[in-house]
Amino acid sequence: MNDIIIGIDLGTTNSEVAIVENGKVTVIADAGKKILPSFVGLDDNGSILVGETARNQYLIYPERTVKSIKRLMGQDTQVTIAGQAYTPQEVSAIILKRLKAIAEAYVGQPIVKAVITVPAYFSDSQRQATREAGEIAGLEVVRMINEPTAAALVYGAGRLDAKRMLVYDLGGGTFDVSVVNVQSGVVEVLASHGDNHLGGDDFDQLIVDRILAHIREQFGIEVEPHGKAMARITRAAEQAKLCLSDEPYATIEEEYLLEHQGTPLHLKMELARSDYEDLIADHINATMDATHIALKGAKLTASDIDEIILVGGSTRTPCIRERLFEEFGFEPHGEVDPDLCVAMGAAMQAAMINGEDIGTVLVDVTPYTFGTCAVGYLDGLPYPYQYVPIVHKNSVLPVRKTEAFETFHDNQREVNVRIFQGEDPDALNNVEIGEFLVEGLLDVPAGNIITLTLDLDLNGILHVSAREKASGKEKAITINNAISRFDSGELNSAKQRIDGLFGETAGGEGGSGPESPAAAAARNAIKKAEALFETVSAEDKEDMVDLIETISNCLENSDEAGLREPVERLNDIIYYLES
Amino acid sequence: MISPYRILGVSEQAADADIKQAYLQGVKDNPPDRDSVRFRQIQDAYDAIKDEDCRLRHALFRVPRVEFDALLAQAFNQQGAGGPMAADDFLKLLSTVAIEKSLAKFTKPT
Repeated sequence: MNDIIIGIDLGTTNSEVAIVENGKVTVIADAGKKILPSFVGLDDNGSILVGETARNQYLIYPERTVKSIKRLMGQDTQVTIAGQAYTPQEVSAIILKRLKAIAEAYVGQPIVKAVITVPAYFSDSQRQATREAGEIAGLEVVRMINEPTAAALVYGAGRLDAKRMLVYDLGGGTFDVSVVNVQSGVVEVLASHGDNHLGGDDFDQLIVDRILAHIREQFGIEVEPHGKAMARITRAAEQAKLCLSDEPYATIEEEYLLEHQGTPLHLKMELARSDYEDLIADHINATMDATHIALKGAKLTASDIDEIILVGGSTRTPCIRERLFEEFGFEPHGEVDPDLCVAMGAAMQAAMINGEDIGTVLVDVTPYTFGTCAVGYLDGLPYPYQYVPIVHKNSVLPVRKTEAFETFHDNQREVNVRIFQGEDPDALNNVEIGEFLVEGLLDVPAGNIITLTLDLDLNGILHVSAREKASGKEKAITINNAISRFDSGELNSAKQRIDGLFGETAGGEGGSGPESPAAAAARNAIKKAEALFETVSAEDKEDMVDLIETISNCLENSDEAGLREPVERLNDIIYYLES
Repeated sequence: MISPYRILGVSEQAADADIKQAYLQGVKDNPPDRDSVRFRQIQDAYDAIKDEDCRLRHALFRVPRVEFDALLAQAFNQQGAGGPMAADDFLKLLSTVAIEKSLAKFTKPT
């Protein structure tokens, strides 16, 4: 029998795990709950908390709790939990490990493979980071599929009539819109667009800003430096938002929010739905613009759409439904729980990869254009960075395209190939996602032909190769954000570190034993500090060097207890410098 | 290059809807997850002939070239004959090329 493959929706706010058994999709519940809040924290004893318990702790100990880590995926940054720095991949891995354990408890056997969903508009580096999170969690990510596509798979399965669907997916941190054709058992994505940093969290933030302004006006107090009060305001803002989905007014009330000059501050304010809708109007307009871009990409208009599918908790906002009704003239669908349907689609795709016939096949596209730059023209003038698109947006995956280029100078022995993502004719206005050097070219006059091949796989990850036509000399890379990318050694040590947090010991792979989480964190802090050396003041640098020396001594002598204080201080400095 | 019509198993006179149906069936039988090479072949075939514009472009720029190659091969590699085909014979062979036939489909009777 094949290994079980689970389907995971790793969301900004909530995560779920699902499985297909005997042709039926089940979202697996843990202690009666199918939704695992995407919160991670450490408790008083340094034990790991994931989900509900971590979310509860967030109010009291925001400094050792992390939320919405998905928003940082693919960035070169770290978050601090209880004074220790973690990469976004590691924090996501903690959530994945928990989901893996929930699924293992349900099926009663180990699980090592998963299909994980990502926002359609996730970039290459965000996808890479997601795959790395899977590896750290001990999961082979057999496929990453796009969230709106996963939802369409659930709605499209078993439907024989031809339908054109619009999937509007507004989650905690990301927005995607896809135009999908469902026909004869094929779910075919025609076009996708979105924004990988737009979601319910942004709505919360707007309410938080409103509350902070209110407190500033009424009491003349800045709340930002008070971590706990900020955590409570954030939670209150979220609750007000949820309340406004059903009620015209929400009361935001937090007693003893903080003490100011000896007197306690009680917060009480009212927020009307209409005010809230004004606050988020720009964001909603942005989603509608994206919707029209997706329609245009599919060469369709609003009247060609037969059904609208809502995905993601933020689509419960009434004004979103109203706007969609205005645009399309009919009510959106929401039969399948918008919080669960992505995980269900992931499980269905997992079953299909495992050889089960689920009656539906998925065809997806890339929402991005990828290309390179070359000496050319911009606005009629010679320009060294003209964008040359190679794979166009809304191309069906997998896709492989080759383009030929010529060397510009005589005796040019190397070419620097830069890869961009975007649409702008000026390459420098697009996002550079990688570069590499092709060296040792033949010593010939200008016009030496170099072919560049871009290969975008089913996971939306780009592989690039360049070849000198005359010699056949080739250089190939998988594009990855050189900054955030882990090498395999780092992945391994991250895995051991996270396993350690769960109280697991690494498999007996000989050699020196795995490093303790504290030691790994210490090394991480040192690395981080050293990276900052160039930009810090002499004074800060001196402090950092001293601390690093103390930490290094402790590491050498395996003095775990001695590590804590200097590492904490070093992390404080790093945190201060980075913010 | 195999003709996209053959890959999808449709006639050159097939309508858009039939071509789409053949494509969907092809995808259903060859999902990208199982065999991405075969899937890509089907996708490319569909992209080449999915609507009249594409079919015209395909007829003009793809099919004739392929047939010319075959013709040239035939002209220069005549078995038994002591060299290339005679010019007259070649012209005769050329006249059998399906360009007009390919284009005829697109000229609507007025």
